[in-house]
Amino acid sequence: MKARLLLSLMLVFTLCMSNALAQQRSVSGTVTTSEDDSSLPGVTVIEKGTTNGTITDADGNYSLTISSNDAVLVFSFVGFATVEEAVGSRSRVDISMNADLQTLSEVVVVGYGTQSKALLTDNVANIESSQISGISTPGFQNTLVGKAPGVQITQINGKVEGSVKVIIRGLSSISASQEPLYVIDGIEMNNSNESSIGANLNPLLSINPDDIESIDILKDASAAAIYGAKATNGVILITTKKGQQGKATVSVNLSNGIGKPTNLRDWLNREQYLELIRESAFNSGFFADQAASDAWVDTRLQRYQGDEDYNNVDTDWQDEALQSSHIRDASISISGGNEKTTTYISGAYQDNKGIVRGNNLERFSARANIDNKVGERFNVGINFNFSHTQIDRIAGDNAFVTPFQAIAQVPTSPTHLADGEPNGGTLYANFLLQDKHSFRETIVRRTLGKVYGEYEFLPELRYRTELGFDLYAQSVDRNTGRLAPFQSTNGQSFASNVERQLISTNNYFTFDKNIGETGNLNAVAGMTYTKSDRRSADVTGDGFPTDDFKSVSSAATISAGNGDFTAWSQLSYFIRATYVHLNKYILKASFRRDGSSVFGEDFRFGNFPAVSAAWRISEESFLNGSNVLSDLKLRASWGINGNTPTSNFGSLALYGGVSYNGGSGLASTQGANPNLKWEETSQINIGVDFGFMDNRITGSLDYYIKDTEDLIFNQRVPFEAAIPGHSILKNIGSLENKGFELTLSTVNIQTPDFNWKTTLNISTNKNEITKLPNGDDQITARNILREGESINSFYLVEYAGVDPDNGDALFVVNSENADGTLDKSTTNDFSQANRIIVGSPIPDWIGGLSSTLTYKEIDFSFTFQGQWGASVYNGGGTFQETGFGNGLDNQTTKILNRWQQPGDITDVPQARLFRNNGHSHSTRYLQKSDFIRLRNVSLGYSLPTSLLEKLNMTRVRVYFSGLNLLTFTDYDGYDPEATNDDGNTNTNIGSEFYSAPPAKVYTFGLNLTF
Amino acid sequence: MKYSKFIFILFFVIGVSCTGELDIEPRQSISEGIATATAENIKNILIGAYNFGRNDLYGGNQTLYVELLGNTDQTAWNGTFANLRDLFAKQMTAANGSANNMYADSYFIIGSVNTVLANLDKFTDDAERNTAEGEALFIRGLAHFELVRLFGLPYAAGGANSQLGVPVLLLPPDVDRKVPRNTVSEVYSQVVADLTEAYTKLPDDNGVFADKYAAQAVLARVYLQMGDYANARDAANDVIANSGHGLMPTFADVFGTDDNTNEHIFSWIINNQEGTNFTVNHYASQPLGGRGGDISVEQAYLDKFDSPLDERASFFYDENGLTLTSKYARQFANTTPIRLAEMYLIRAEANFREGTSTGATPLADINAVRSRSSAPDLGAVTLDLILNERELELAFEGFVLHDYKRTQRNIGGLPYDDNRLVMPIPQSARDRNDLLEQNPGYAN
Repeated sequence: MKARLLLSLMLVFTLCMSNALAQQRSVSGTVTTSEDDSSLPGVTVIEKGTTNGTITDADGNYSLTISSNDAVLVFSFVGFATVEEAVGSRSRVDISMNADLQTLSEVVVVGYGTQSKALLTDNVANIESSQISGISTPGFQNTLVGKAPGVQITQINGKVEGSVKVIIRGLSSISASQEPLYVIDGIEMNNSNESSIGANLNPLLSINPDDIESIDILKDASAAAIYGAKATNGVILITTKKGQQGKATVSVNLSNGIGKPTNLRDWLNREQYLELIRESAFNSGFFADQAASDAWVDTRLQRYQGDEDYNNVDTDWQDEALQSSHIRDASISISGGNEKTTTYISGAYQDNKGIVRGNNLERFSARANIDNKVGERFNVGINFNFSHTQIDRIAGDNAFVTPFQAIAQVPTSPTHLADGEPNGGTLYANFLLQDKHSFRETIVRRTLGKVYGEYEFLPELRYRTELGFDLYAQSVDRNTGRLAPFQSTNGQSFASNVERQLISTNNYFTFDKNIGETGNLNAVAGMTYTKSDRRSADVTGDGFPTDDFKSVSSAATISAGNGDFTAWSQLSYFIRATYVHLNKYILKASFRRDGSSVFGEDFRFGNFPAVSAAWRISEESFLNGSNVLSDLKLRASWGINGNTPTSNFGSLALYGGVSYNGGSGLASTQGANPNLKWEETSQINIGVDFGFMDNRITGSLDYYIKDTEDLIFNQRVPFEAAIPGHSILKNIGSLENKGFELTLSTVNIQTPDFNWKTTLNISTNKNEITKLPNGDDQITARNILREGESINSFYLVEYAGVDPDNGDALFVVNSENADGTLDKSTTNDFSQANRIIVGSPIPDWIGGLSSTLTYKEIDFSFTFQGQWGASVYNGGGTFQETGFGNGLDNQTTKILNRWQQPGDITDVPQARLFRNNGHSHSTRYLQKSDFIRLRNVSLGYSLPTSLLEKLNMTRVRVYFSGLNLLTFTDYDGYDPEATNDDGNTNTNIGSEFYSAPPAKVYTFGLNLTF
Repeated sequence: MKYSKFIFILFFVIGVSCTGELDIEPRQSISEGIATATAENIKNILIGAYNFGRNDLYGGNQTLYVELLGNTDQTAWNGTFANLRDLFAKQMTAANGSANNMYADSYFIIGSVNTVLANLDKFTDDAERNTAEGEALFIRGLAHFELVRLFGLPYAAGGANSQLGVPVLLLPPDVDRKVPRNTVSEVYSQVVADLTEAYTKLPDDNGVFADKYAAQAVLARVYLQMGDYANARDAANDVIANSGHGLMPTFADVFGTDDNTNEHIFSWIINNQEGTNFTVNHYASQPLGGRGGDISVEQAYLDKFDSPLDERASFFYDENGLTLTSKYARQFANTTPIRLAEMYLIRAEANFREGTSTGATPLADINAVRSRSSAPDLGAVTLDLILNERELELAFEGFVLHDYKRTQRNIGGLPYDDNRLVMPIPQSARDRNDLLEQNPGYAN
């Protein structure tokens, strides 16, 4: 193989040489616009198949030396249709370029159809495959970070299977879903977290990013309204690649990456730990003198020292929990076809060893997209994808046995005993015992499929029917051996299966007809039906003959078992009409009527209308031909979207089975609210799209107001009502999101050899809860819901530093004075201090900056992301920065600044063993999490076309890419994005708790196309 | 391909005609309509009420509340739970979680049995209907009785008792219901009516579920609390004479069992598959399944015994220097029992106060209870001795607060009718229902 490659390379060189000797001559000409014959400067003129080219001068003239009479010139310019012209024997080639056609033909997917980008009346963010390729991460959502305005994407933490939170234009729900709707090739996808432990599992892991052709994010109500009842949080449309007619194209992508945590923290080493704990013990007042407290420390630390002398042990537990990750990706696709049939077939493999010890993921997937023209008017096709994802999972962040809680261990504890077994005598359960004697293997098998048929009744009228299938099957096998921590029986095994199936059908007519000479009407009308069934079963067995037995069958007793079914269905009718007049005035209206099984009979159906309009001012004669302002479009839209409760039977009064003395009985489990209905969000969007200097600078600016009403809430009812849980689901409460979104793209340099484009997006969002049940605050741990405030604001006692005289922690009283102001005096008595709103886990500003540079065969691109205005609460701080007030947990080196003697000015209180000196939950552990991050960077080199032709290849590219390489932040926790994955709910967010940072990944890769 | 057009039209017709597919019934739950449709399901709802009752209310927590509020020097609180600590310190606030659970759970169980009572027409068999009705009334009467004793100022024998008790709830669950508190007098009337009716409807024996003598035994307790000694005596006498229950040979035989003994007239079932025994949680050592002795027994209680031969005087064990009761030394044991010994004590006291000797003399009844525990017989009884005997026999079983209140004895430094010995109407209950007035002595 190597020898052949070498031979080819030599051959290529030879041929290049001979090429240079071919006959050369000059060709020149002028490029004008077809509209008014004005000259076009800056047009790129390239001899096809070479890098030989030039650009037109200020008068639209060019001159180029070509190598043969067979030469074809390619004229390209932003905003104009590319023209190819064979030179033949001519020495002068004048070209007239059409301005609009190309941009009109650029389409975005809008749900049940596509729409020309130029004629769009809505806010849709479009992301192409090239923007997301080559990023080494298991979840495709991670590749979108920083690329779409108004879309905040956060990976909860550094676990490979970890969930990804996608928030489009702010949080629009409190107790129902906050996640967007995912639709792949027109078929709704299940996005339910099926994790059997607290830490979420990203349900969309099974998608191979290389299969994605484009992603369109429907953000405003008018765009999303066609998905009516489920569109409150926006819609993400994924379109996979299709086969292309012509010679088969094979693409191979190979990459290898290594990763490290984005950040580490400094923990006390042995010397620091010993010094501080001796000081802290003495300060506690429990002991008569320093000798007595030292003796106590000595006795205590001997407990954790295993087979060694603790004075000689210095363990870096952080280092034990984290490791270098290794990600290998390989994918291949074959695309091709003839006039009748086109196919796209792909396979992909990923092996991902995570940065947290014991956390691995292996995935393989395959896809076939086949389209077939059965007859003149009759098309059918199938998209089919299956995948197998195997994950070695670790416990949630809140579990003692999760690796990252090892940072709490005492540094003078050895990790292992002399016999090689993990040290079981550590302060907290040693995760290495769990790592060695237990496993939790999760396998997700997913099948996504679609078949469709399309019939053209008339040239203007088509009918399409689609049948979609999504099966998410997950098995979990967990075994805990007898030597694992907290294992009271002789081993325990747990086995579970969950299957969630989504079957859907879309049936709709598309009508497209020119009206008169100037108008065009496009209309879509049809129905869709979706049914979801979920079945789960699990069994737990205790007591095994030896640890070699791991399956439930060998268990002495079956200690628990569950079986569960649930389902929902939705039936919808929709119609959408778009009228375009003179390619200038666009009016669109849509209406969707949804019925859902999750509501009571009388409130089952909801109506979701939308209207929008756009005016392309730049097409008006008074602006036409302006050199400065090349594009200007005003857009406005209004619509209503819906959201359903997470409970499938929330409107019904229910009874469940119970037992008493071995006999069965019934207990009321849920009260009825037959009036339960959709959450409704009405949204207004006003936007302008613009282009300057022949579209060298383009962009758009949008402003939206999103009002959500009838928020679904657990309304508390009187105890005397005797309703289960003393609450029922009810539509009360409302909230509002509003903000700006700005996108600005510039073509900085455009020459045949050197291209440089930059895109900047910035968005703001302001969230306000406008109504809550009875106006009552609702507090979940450190998050509060309060009228007039942003959703889930942090609600904490304000920390006021340290009293220099005695080292006491101080807090701001913050009680309300008679005049309504807050008493800002301080107290050392925590219970005298009142909680106030002190920040938000949601950023006010998010942004992204992407740039692509190509110079000849070299390409370079990067994306920065940033967010401002959010805070993160470190829930672990009450153990990690306490000076041993809350246990013997190892401390961050921040604690070394503690108060030691009168007069010390510091914000770290005196260390007092087992005494609470400032470690109650307060703003001491709250920090701004503003950051800017170099999210992706990629540097590639492609072999020149001339060389490729000889190799019979279309593309050979080697690249280096990086993920999360640089993070700029003042946040001094692990990572401004890493938060607790245990109990991360709609109302309990923004807290870090032994959460692993995300990975920083360096990848080398190879793309081959032939 | 000629017919493909029609195939598509067919698809469309199928597509638009699936409206009926929106009717989906849950599968591990059933709707209220189904749950209340048949006699079998109504019986199941009744069993569900027993299950709920033993979870929090009668699974030991209520006993715990009464003991913590009613004791000062006889027991000590060593635990960490702030709610319970406040009960023992007699410094509850309206936010007290124990008061909240007691209140909320009581109304939930009352709502459940009211569902049974509202659906008696589903029964075709008269005997089954009567049993179900009797059991439901038994639970409803019991729950109201416990509520009014904890949340209302004490019942004054012969008084108007117009002080506020708790809402009397006779209807099935209703989301929109908002009701004010009834007077103590009204609540007691309803309790007596429910239990009296339950007695007439229930069979002589009903397995682990309430039978007529369970209703009669609680009725005896209610009359005693009301100072209606004649009725208390007759009810207790009926149970002793006719129920077939008898005292167990030794004191130790009565406790730590998940099977009712012959002495148990009724109890709430806890076993290794079902339920949590909260008395064990808070009274027992860690090896016995407790939290290490949140509540320990103090010298003041031990001093009440007159003879070291009394087995009850040594029914304790030591754990880390704490003296803990052996009544709650088994994790899986039934809770909140109604024992026959209590009936002897009620009959003795009532006969004594009335100057009668229905069934037996007070002295005979007291000595019957004493001799079972090898305590020497008394030669004569006084009211004080009878009341003392109640404490020797029934300590830690949820009587002390109510006994001191009805006999108007001080609890620690507090008079029997002090506001601090009455639970506050929970803040959360008043947030949900603004018709509920707060008890005196509580700010909000």
